[in-house]
Amino acid sequence: MSMSRSTVRLLLVAGAIGFLAVPLVFTSSFFKFLFILVFIYLIVSIGMNLLIGYAGQFSLGHAGLMAIGAYVSAIVSMSLAKVPALVFVGGNVWIGMLAGIVSAGAAGAVLAFPALRVKGPYLAMVTVAFGWVIWKVLLTWTSVTGGDLGITAIPRPRVAGHIFTVTDYYYLSGAAALVALVLQRNIVLSDFGRKIRAMKYNEMALEAVGVSVHREKVAVFVISAMFAGWGGALFAHLQNFINPDNFQFFNSVFFLLTILFGGPGTLSGPFFGATFLTLVPELLHGAEQYRLLIFSVVILVTLFYLPHGIAGLLPMRIAERTPVKEFTAARTASTTRPAVGAPLAGSPAATVPVVKVVGVSKSFGGIHALEGVDLQLETGTVHALIGPNGAGKTTLVNIISGLYRGDRGTVSLLGKEIVLTSLHHAARQGIARTFQTIKLFGDMTVREHVMVGCELQSGTGLLGAMLRTKSHYDEERRRRAIADELLELVGLSDLVDVSAATLAYGHRRLLEMARALASRPRLLLLDEPAAGLVASEIAMLAGVIDRLRLTGLAVLLVEHHMDLVVAVSDRITVLEQGQVISHGEVETVRNDPRVIEAYLGTGEDHEFVAAHG
Amino acid sequence: MVFFFQILMDGIATGAIYALVAVGYSVTFTTMRVLNFGLGMWVMLGGMLTYTMHVSLGLNIVVTLIAVVSVLSLMGIVAERLTVRPFVGAGSEGWVMATLAVGLLFVNVAELVWGRNSLRVPAFVGQDVLRFGAFGIYPQNLLIIASSIGAFLALEYFYYHTLWGKAFRAVAHSPDTSRLMGINAGGVATASYALACVLAGVAGILVVPITLADPQMGTVLGLKAFVIPIVAGLASPRGILICGIAYGAVEGLISGYLFSGIRDILAFGLMIAVLYWRPDGLFGQPSAERA
Repeated sequence: MSMSRSTVRLLLVAGAIGFLAVPLVFTSSFFKFLFILVFIYLIVSIGMNLLIGYAGQFSLGHAGLMAIGAYVSAIVSMSLAKVPALVFVGGNVWIGMLAGIVSAGAAGAVLAFPALRVKGPYLAMVTVAFGWVIWKVLLTWTSVTGGDLGITAIPRPRVAGHIFTVTDYYYLSGAAALVALVLQRNIVLSDFGRKIRAMKYNEMALEAVGVSVHREKVAVFVISAMFAGWGGALFAHLQNFINPDNFQFFNSVFFLLTILFGGPGTLSGPFFGATFLTLVPELLHGAEQYRLLIFSVVILVTLFYLPHGIAGLLPMRIAERTPVKEFTAARTASTTRPAVGAPLAGSPAATVPVVKVVGVSKSFGGIHALEGVDLQLETGTVHALIGPNGAGKTTLVNIISGLYRGDRGTVSLLGKEIVLTSLHHAARQGIARTFQTIKLFGDMTVREHVMVGCELQSGTGLLGAMLRTKSHYDEERRRRAIADELLELVGLSDLVDVSAATLAYGHRRLLEMARALASRPRLLLLDEPAAGLVASEIAMLAGVIDRLRLTGLAVLLVEHHMDLVVAVSDRITVLEQGQVISHGEVETVRNDPRVIEAYLGTGEDHEFVAAHG
Repeated sequence: MVFFFQILMDGIATGAIYALVAVGYSVTFTTMRVLNFGLGMWVMLGGMLTYTMHVSLGLNIVVTLIAVVSVLSLMGIVAERLTVRPFVGAGSEGWVMATLAVGLLFVNVAELVWGRNSLRVPAFVGQDVLRFGAFGIYPQNLLIIASSIGAFLALEYFYYHTLWGKAFRAVAHSPDTSRLMGINAGGVATASYALACVLAGVAGILVVPITLADPQMGTVLGLKAFVIPIVAGLASPRGILICGIAYGAVEGLISGYLFSGIRDILAFGLMIAVLYWRPDGLFGQPSAERA
């Protein structure tokens, strides 16, 4: 169902002509007003889409954020009206609008920082409460907000003495909406955009590649709040009055609905949602008393029959449900860093272990999962950690990767004792991991999975991505080159553009490894990578592990599969009931009577030895 | 002192009502990790039906109670089947919007049926103040507090001493394992949802004589009641009752002595603070994340 490029271009031209012609065709200000509202709501919806559709968070308080944008803009521009020079060029209104956007962003940060510690339904309720409190403040703080009468005589923008007419305002807000659409696209396609999309699918996996999920969540919430404030600022100067009625809970529901109905997580969703849901009810005259009824029916019908919204009904290219490909030339850029190996800062002396664990203990309630465990992981060495189920292997991996904190004992990194506070902290220190149960980012492509983990030292950041600077493109090219190199290393080169959701099981395991390597770790923790793989896949995995050893990486391999352990390991540590019962070279451990006893009991038939001896 | 006692009692009564609605959130959340986002509107429905049956039709309050409970439990069963189960089954969070949509639908229908004006419902147990020396208590307040505590005791008896209650707790612990043990987990889900709606409806019956009945009455009540399980922890009924009553009392005192506009802002600030400090609530057990 894909559409040709020329058809798309034709539609865009038609859209542009339509946009320019509206004020000529609809001369009554009612219609101009209506279209201006569409543009304003579109801007707020775009903010909602980034937050809900892409990042998978929730908000039912955006009307409150919009109110902050509107009130701050109105109040600031009215206070600045005392400066005549400023007023003549319209500076007071422009500064006011900017202040509105910034204030909404700041309020978003204040709300998001604590609220985003909770998820889904809790978050929704907290944001409801926020919107409602803002509304209450607007009603009761009469000296500033004018109470239920609101603020009147808000100035219209002007440029060099010319005051904006409704038609001018139509073009102004239309242009603003266009800019917002472009910004939305740039954000979604940026490195930040990849991270927030990944966050929607699996937060823990994103943490594991060194991204602070909470930080990214707050960031996307603030951006979303700024879009709401932008819409609010435009709203304030449209009519010359605002009051709390414009910013009620129902308005927040409306914005959420534009996303659900338009198509969450699509670039065009906000456009369809805001246009349809603004125009249709207004055009149904006399339906005012059935407004809630209509909206609740639309919500239910959308939820049941349009899970991808209107955009989901359209051909891919129009709806842009998956972001367009950014680069056609593959691997043109030179990488400034090798993809694997070469530790971040300074090269450690070969004698210093990458990670040294001394006397680590961990209990869950009364169960001692680990008791005084020592472990030493060295550069260019594959170290296997084996032991019966429940021996504490995964607990140890979780401690080394920063997921749990040990009750006692120390973890040292390159000879320095370190307290790992979280998965992303450990990843940033050079300790990457994979998971026993595979954690991937939904239908993001194979290459995107690896690019998410590529943190470059010279980050141009989000602003560069929004403005599409040259350094942004350079960085993206570098990330892409690194990702392709890593995917080649694990043997997934042929599948770079495939959705990870369609990968075979073995390929998923390998993809997880490539993603873990993207953060350029010194130590890679593999938690049962061979689980569920067939023999040919295990052979492939062994080859990859061998190659990793050559790059100087330290690898900790937790595995039940003895063929693999014996084939790739330089050293083995055996855990039983939370204690190390044996460690050393493969041969030593294999002949250790305590290991044989732990695995086989004290019988005569030593299968383990027989199988591998 | 007399004034203090007066507003304290009013506050506690209001808090008891919040607690009833709050435990409605908790009942569905513990059993199936679902919340009725329109629960406040079920409170409103309970209040409006009370007006129609008790005031318009002149039915006895006990008959009214039985009728409201029956109607709301039936509606709750239907609502769960239509707007919650399909989404939970598909692993989607669509139920958030769906339960909210049902609530909005109720508001609009109530506006069409009962109008937008506030309706007065007289106290069920007389308007005369009971005097204890200088202190006076409205019998309606006593009724609310007693009914609410009674409802909590009944809930606890149900949870710990009846087979269905044990099934609720088993499903709360692990729906899959309970299914394997022959418990009708789907039935428990439906029943808990209906129970939440009924608790909200009972709160609606109790609250209308002290406030007024109108289609918007449930919105704010439902929201404030949500602060309580967040503060107390969603899985702790006793914590919810204690927090609910404490919250109502503090809120009453603040609006009595300070200024009523500030109390809601305080409630919200409290919630944010608790979430920041203890994301699992004051009485909740922190849950460890698993890799």
